[in-house]
Amino acid sequence: MRTPTLLALLAATSVSFAAEDGAQVYNSLCVACHGPDGKGLNGLPPLVGSDWPKGAAERSIKIVLQGMTGPVDVAGKTYNIDMPPQGAVLSDEKIAAALTYVRKTFAAGAGAVTPDLVKSVRAATAGRTTPWTAAELLKAHPFPPTRTALVNLVGTMYKGEWKELPDFSKLKPAQIEDENTGIISPAQASLKDAFAMVWEAKFEAPQDGKYTFVFDCDDFGALYVNGERIAEIKGIGPVGGRRKEVPVLLKKGLVPFRLEYVEVAGHEVIQLGYKGPKDKEFNWLSDTKGAGGKAAGKARAPIPIEAKDGYAASYRNFIAGTTPRALGFGFPNGTNLAYSADNCAVELLWTGKFMDGAHHWIDRGAGNEPPAGEGVVKASDGQAVAGASAPSGAIVAFRGAKADEFKAVPVAAEFKGYQLDKHGSPTFKVAGEGFTLTDAWTPAGAAGLTRTLTAAGDKPVTVTLARGMLAVAAKDGAFELGPRLVIRPSAGVAPTAAANELTLTLKPGESATLGYSFR
Amino acid sequence: MKKFTVTLLALCALAPFAGAQAKKKAAKVAGPEALALQAQYYDRVQIPTPPGEVVEVSSIALMPGKKVAIATRRGDVWVCEGAYEDDVTKVKWTKFASNLHEPLGMFYKDKSLFLTQRPEHTRLTDTDGDGKADAFDTICAKWGINGDYHEYAFGTDPDKDGNVWVVLCLTGSFHAYSPWRGWCVRITPEGKMIPTTSGIRSPGGIGMNDKGDVFYTDNQGVWNGSSSLKWLRPGSFQGNPTGNKSAALLGFPAPPEPKSGSRVLAERLKFPDFVPPAVVLPHGKVGNSPSGIACDMTKGKWGPWANQLFVGEQTASQVQRVNLEVVNGLYQGAVFHFLQGFEAGLVPVRMDQEDGTLFIGGTNRGWGSRGSQPFTFERVRYKGKVPFEMHDISARHDGFEVTFTHPVDAASAGDLASYSLDAFTYIYQSAYGSPEVDQAKPTVKSATVSADGLKVRLVVDGLVRGHIHHLVADGVRNKAGDALWHNEGWYTLNEIPAAK
Repeated sequence: MRTPTLLALLAATSVSFAAEDGAQVYNSLCVACHGPDGKGLNGLPPLVGSDWPKGAAERSIKIVLQGMTGPVDVAGKTYNIDMPPQGAVLSDEKIAAALTYVRKTFAAGAGAVTPDLVKSVRAATAGRTTPWTAAELLKAHPFPPTRTALVNLVGTMYKGEWKELPDFSKLKPAQIEDENTGIISPAQASLKDAFAMVWEAKFEAPQDGKYTFVFDCDDFGALYVNGERIAEIKGIGPVGGRRKEVPVLLKKGLVPFRLEYVEVAGHEVIQLGYKGPKDKEFNWLSDTKGAGGKAAGKARAPIPIEAKDGYAASYRNFIAGTTPRALGFGFPNGTNLAYSADNCAVELLWTGKFMDGAHHWIDRGAGNEPPAGEGVVKASDGQAVAGASAPSGAIVAFRGAKADEFKAVPVAAEFKGYQLDKHGSPTFKVAGEGFTLTDAWTPAGAAGLTRTLTAAGDKPVTVTLARGMLAVAAKDGAFELGPRLVIRPSAGVAPTAAANELTLTLKPGESATLGYSFR
Repeated sequence: MKKFTVTLLALCALAPFAGAQAKKKAAKVAGPEALALQAQYYDRVQIPTPPGEVVEVSSIALMPGKKVAIATRRGDVWVCEGAYEDDVTKVKWTKFASNLHEPLGMFYKDKSLFLTQRPEHTRLTDTDGDGKADAFDTICAKWGINGDYHEYAFGTDPDKDGNVWVVLCLTGSFHAYSPWRGWCVRITPEGKMIPTTSGIRSPGGIGMNDKGDVFYTDNQGVWNGSSSLKWLRPGSFQGNPTGNKSAALLGFPAPPEPKSGSRVLAERLKFPDFVPPAVVLPHGKVGNSPSGIACDMTKGKWGPWANQLFVGEQTASQVQRVNLEVVNGLYQGAVFHFLQGFEAGLVPVRMDQEDGTLFIGGTNRGWGSRGSQPFTFERVRYKGKVPFEMHDISARHDGFEVTFTHPVDAASAGDLASYSLDAFTYIYQSAYGSPEVDQAKPTVKSATVSADGLKVRLVVDGLVRGHIHHLVADGVRNKAGDALWHNEGWYTLNEIPAAK
């Protein structure tokens, strides 16, 4: 009696079963990171409230097929987490079903995805073996345009090299493009280096009142609002140190807007935003956001690592400016150093804050973290400890950043570890052919460090105190490493100063003390 | 839609044919009922971690005097007193060291803690007796690292020669941008590094069996159709050729360059150094991300599982159970679901072999897990009541022999309808993961119960060499009429033994 009813029901619900399949795929694979409710588990990107599952389904299909890597902004937060590719695991039908489920459940209004579309995207991306980046995907499949205050934005590119802003009226444009997104980006230029761009538009002021513009860029440029040059960044350099914030009084309506920008080489960044009379935060007109914005970059609160109760703080992790085998020490007197165990050298010295742990301790911790304090001095680069003769090959290091560059090289010395004293101050230990070396650092005075080098064994050892990065100037028996750091040898210690190198040779059993002080 | 499904299920339950199916249904595999059943056999206790501290447990070491040391992903080392006590709310924590570089592997020896951290293998010693490490001796720092977060290094306890085995994850889990990524190396007590196997992708843990052979877990991804437990036979190739170039650094013979789109069996027959996974942990069925490995050498204190391996599972917050055997010189065996309900994604597991306590640590930073807490430190103990389980599955020339932990009811265990088998494998390819392929349907031809009722000999038609054989024994009952606690196992049939 009941069986026919059941069969009838099964037949009648075949469509629902297809949708159920998508939920099943989602709940067996996607759920591990995106969560049963699509809100993302513990620091993983949500699907709910995200623009990513919406709009062109090709974008989502590519992410599922080949995966995704690198930083991505999702629902106002930056994530840097890899999405593993599923193209080799899931059929076109399963991907279509899962994405249809995701779009219906977590991205209301986004339409169903057909297996045929998945099939065509799979065919079109067959050669693609690496995961996609957010920038690539958004370039091919942008989010639906959002309006900014810039109306009729046009970008004009010029080719050339300048040290200051040129007179653009005398230059010949190399490229002119409408930028309907109303967003300014150096990526709109077809060149990466040696170019200038001018953007012109009407800025729409929604009411009378004070508008505060914020402007920063890499390398330099000038901002004109209502026909007036209100801010200029001069010289070559990164964003951060030269940021300008300028208030302007505007009347409601459309006012002329112009941004001039020059990129010399290296990174290219523009940060441009404004705060209207009613705004609490900056609205960004550039693709890169500066500090204090609505969805501005990293939402991580810092985790300061600092000396406590007179005991030095330490930090072994990837520290920007030195090698991957880095050891940081932050002393109670506010001096800090980073030691490279690869090069057996203190390579960075700075004052103020030691390190911020948030970068490596939240999410997966990709990348290098720079010192948190000020005036970082790069003392040396490369191997800093050498014996009396060239290494015989008894100690080998493996080097190279790509498989075709790998090599085994003899090295003069290798890192053997460190000993902490009662205050957490380190003595680094190094050994080479015929010698051992200890390298002790203790805080001294208000802003200094005392370094004691001691050699043992039967061969002399030469230690590079500074190399390459800064000119070394000898003055009154001391040596200046740039404007901030002075090395003062104690009596009887005589380092050898060359143009930009400072070395010290110790005989077996010899010890040398050097005072480091910051200005 | 949801409502509709419920109605449909209710109808199924009422249908006459569905009733017969329900009778064979085993114990609930998830939810509060399953946890209550588990609690009859194993006692799981979460140990409070130091208040206010982020303790993402990455390594666990046992110290004298019932102290337990843990390392964290942030690089701290903590020593716990009271972890074995009935009342764990009174545990005392002492910080031994701070901010080391993501240690994954730690043990205690000769009054020091030895720890494998990302850049090196290190000895930590408290030389002045103030309870804090002051000597940090670098034993070996020879492998390459380049600043990529995925270049993890997992280390073992010392082997019988005192060597520590370290598996080195690929750069970003896809590339070898630093020397020796994708290799297992041994570190001698003097600090010499001996590259030992090639072919590694992305390990989640490493450990030894009772014989001292070393195994690691490798995660689903490129060249790994599924995650698996692999045997690190010295000189072997583990299946992922990405790191092969490092062989030239020491003039080793080039490791195999297998063909993508093939099968593990086909390629390993071409390359004798290619050791196939000992036990495949089918992706999405057994777990998604296997981690630490512990061997039961407790002589019964952990249950009737002598010499079996217990494997952590990050995504599903579980511990799986593995039995191994050697056939034609290769390890193979079965995996069974075992413990679940842990509070975070599991990484290290550590068995106290004297006491029979399993310590586990978890974190779900960066990789999600079913357990919803950001980190956890837990203890599991056997309560002394033997669960009704398939103790192990062992291959025979014409089928399998299944050993049970309770004498079985001869009628149900002798009934062919009590068993079902299916078999499959994965594509062995340079792409990420694989669907299950080459499905086969071996059939159980006879089931013979031993006189003591502990063994059932299954004669099977259609065994497939190289395939994972999924055996469901949902009809088998013990003498009390109970169903199995876990009624399925996945046996990786690398080799079919010869008839005796």
